[in-house]
Amino acid sequence: MISAPPVMQSSVARPALAGFRQAASCSSSRRTVRCAVAVASAAPAGRCTLYEVLGLRAGATGGEIKAAYRRLARERHPDVAGAAGDDFIRLHDAYATLSDPDARARYDRDVVVQAYAQPPAARTNGVWGRPRRTWETDQCW
Amino acid sequence: MAEQFYTVASDSETTGDDKAQQSFPDVAIGIDIGTSRCSVAIWNGHQVELLKNTRSQKGMRSYVMFKDDTLSAGVTGGATKEHAHEERDILSGSAIFNMKRLIGRMDTDEVVQASKTLPFLVQTLGIGVRPFIAALVNNMWRSTTPEEVLAIFLLELKALVEMHLKHPVRNAVLTIPVAFSRFQQTRIERACAMAGLHVLRLMPEPTAVALLYAQQQQQLMHDNMGSGIEKIALIFNIGAGYCDVAVSATAGGVSQIRALSGCTVGGEDILQNVMRHLLPNYDNLCDNAGQTTDRIKSMGLLRMATQDAIHKLASQESTEINADLGNGLKVCKLLSRAEFEQVNHVIFEKCERIIKQCLLDAKLTPEDINDVILVGGCSRIPKIRSLVLGLCKKEGSYGSIDDLEAAVSGAALEGAIASGVTDPSGSLDLLTIQVTPMNLGIRSDGDGFAAIIPRNTAVPARRDMLFTTSQDNQAEALVAVYEGEGKQAEENHLLGYFKITGIPPVPKGAVEISVCMDIDAGNVLRVFAGVVKPQGEATPPFIEVRMPTLDDGHGWCGQALAKMYGSKLDLAVLPKKLQP
Repeated sequence: MISAPPVMQSSVARPALAGFRQAASCSSSRRTVRCAVAVASAAPAGRCTLYEVLGLRAGATGGEIKAAYRRLARERHPDVAGAAGDDFIRLHDAYATLSDPDARARYDRDVVVQAYAQPPAARTNGVWGRPRRTWETDQCW
Repeated sequence: MAEQFYTVASDSETTGDDKAQQSFPDVAIGIDIGTSRCSVAIWNGHQVELLKNTRSQKGMRSYVMFKDDTLSAGVTGGATKEHAHEERDILSGSAIFNMKRLIGRMDTDEVVQASKTLPFLVQTLGIGVRPFIAALVNNMWRSTTPEEVLAIFLLELKALVEMHLKHPVRNAVLTIPVAFSRFQQTRIERACAMAGLHVLRLMPEPTAVALLYAQQQQQLMHDNMGSGIEKIALIFNIGAGYCDVAVSATAGGVSQIRALSGCTVGGEDILQNVMRHLLPNYDNLCDNAGQTTDRIKSMGLLRMATQDAIHKLASQESTEINADLGNGLKVCKLLSRAEFEQVNHVIFEKCERIIKQCLLDAKLTPEDINDVILVGGCSRIPKIRSLVLGLCKKEGSYGSIDDLEAAVSGAALEGAIASGVTDPSGSLDLLTIQVTPMNLGIRSDGDGFAAIIPRNTAVPARRDMLFTTSQDNQAEALVAVYEGEGKQAEENHLLGYFKITGIPPVPKGAVEISVCMDIDAGNVLRVFAGVVKPQGEATPPFIEVRMPTLDDGHGWCGQALAKMYGSKLDLAVLPKKLQP
């Protein structure tokens, strides 16, 4: 395994990459949640948690995550939607993390840790985003 | 593919704009180009229908016969009516076959080396260029290319479909082996363009089978026989040239590919192993360099006798081979199944390895599998059946799928879906979520390979990775894009390369270079690269390159680049701790 850097997220909002057909409306790299359980209400519009991408609450079961992913894939997959794949990529990234128990636990924990570790102002300004996933979990299903 | 890459003169009448004005529905056909046999299927408005040629065959031998000035492909079978005559003609040196094994390969490739025992001419120089292939016409070798042969075949196939549909056909979905490199895929697209076909999609063979399975499961659910819960299927496909495995999760008409793996192993290798076993000095006798008409004939007879024996061993414990090869050469041998399995044990081990790999990648155990689907001509070999079922801990395989027609049926289904056809019964209400079969990345840290999009990533996909310079004041960096499973760059296929120029003069490791890879819904790979830190007026614009950029002779390129530039333009993976 190559020691890869953790910034793997495709939708990292970064000025230099603005030309990459960025769909920054729901950049998962700028999650600003106070607590994993309160995600839905805490996140302002334009920044979604992975749960919100799937239209679920934070405590969703594995079955619900799979079902939501399938249902949304049938709407957002470029084969169906006919558009660029950004929506689907975001959906799949969310699913990839949440469907893996380890990655999901890490995500939930990091979201909470980050929410307590940073003052509110710093949380929204991070241009580079904070890597929250690792290479290994990124490629799993 | 979403965009048309190659245009052909004869295509000019039907461009995308006037498609709507065509009176016939432009539904893509499904084509399965096999190493040994090809088939074609269409969506007839209600279901998938496999087309038969004038000889009522659904699976047509894949070959093109060169005779005087006329060419005839295996679709119509030329003038020969009898099977034995056809086989003998194919093996006379005048026909080119096994195109799928040769296409897009360099002469250093071991598959090309093994093809030198075929009756037609395969000449290699071993320097990483395309091999020279030729067919025997009037006792003279006439040169051709695998693309040309495939195009001639596809042209006949297209004519067959048009005769049946009574309107022109333009779009097609083709199945390809999992092990096909992106370079080989462009060769298939080129052959299609030469035949006047636009490739709507290239589908890995087992994923086409997975789609057919998803349709059947969906149907079962409608009929209230299925439970509607997720079903995991392992699809194992072995034909004459390639072997592929896919693990798919199916529910509600969505076929999600969890993992793919494949290798270049198939019936052709099994056949050659048995021939070598039957005739100890086989390699000397069929060496391409000393090919004479007599020898070609002897080898043809041996090939036919061996093929026949292998078929018999599928149902018998042993078979007797009695073949007079001419020139005083005779083969008389009783071949038992145990002997056959011993001779081919390396092949069976390879099959085992890719199944295990695929399950590992899918993060599943044999207990998770609901159905094992066996397809392809060689899946009828008892040892292969028992091996796959044994690894999956299953008593029997999934029975509702025809092992020879599944891939082409799946391709036709995908063709109908991708053409926007809907069916009132909901039988086209399906979606396949594909994955990339191989790691995609760039050369870094000397000869290392940094995978940016790892294998089995869902498509469409976009990933980026940060790199830095390896020298102080390095102004330029080379981005060499590779595809494959090797840990070293040179073990993988080179797809293309380009330079990032105008890097600010700073100590090594101080700049941040982002390399982003994007695979769109049409499976087109684009690489974006540029300096992201330091930012400022002086930083050059990003570069976007569509891959593969390389045409022929790519075996040389990697070495030439290394020789020319050494480590001067090297990139290094940015260590984790330095990243923000």
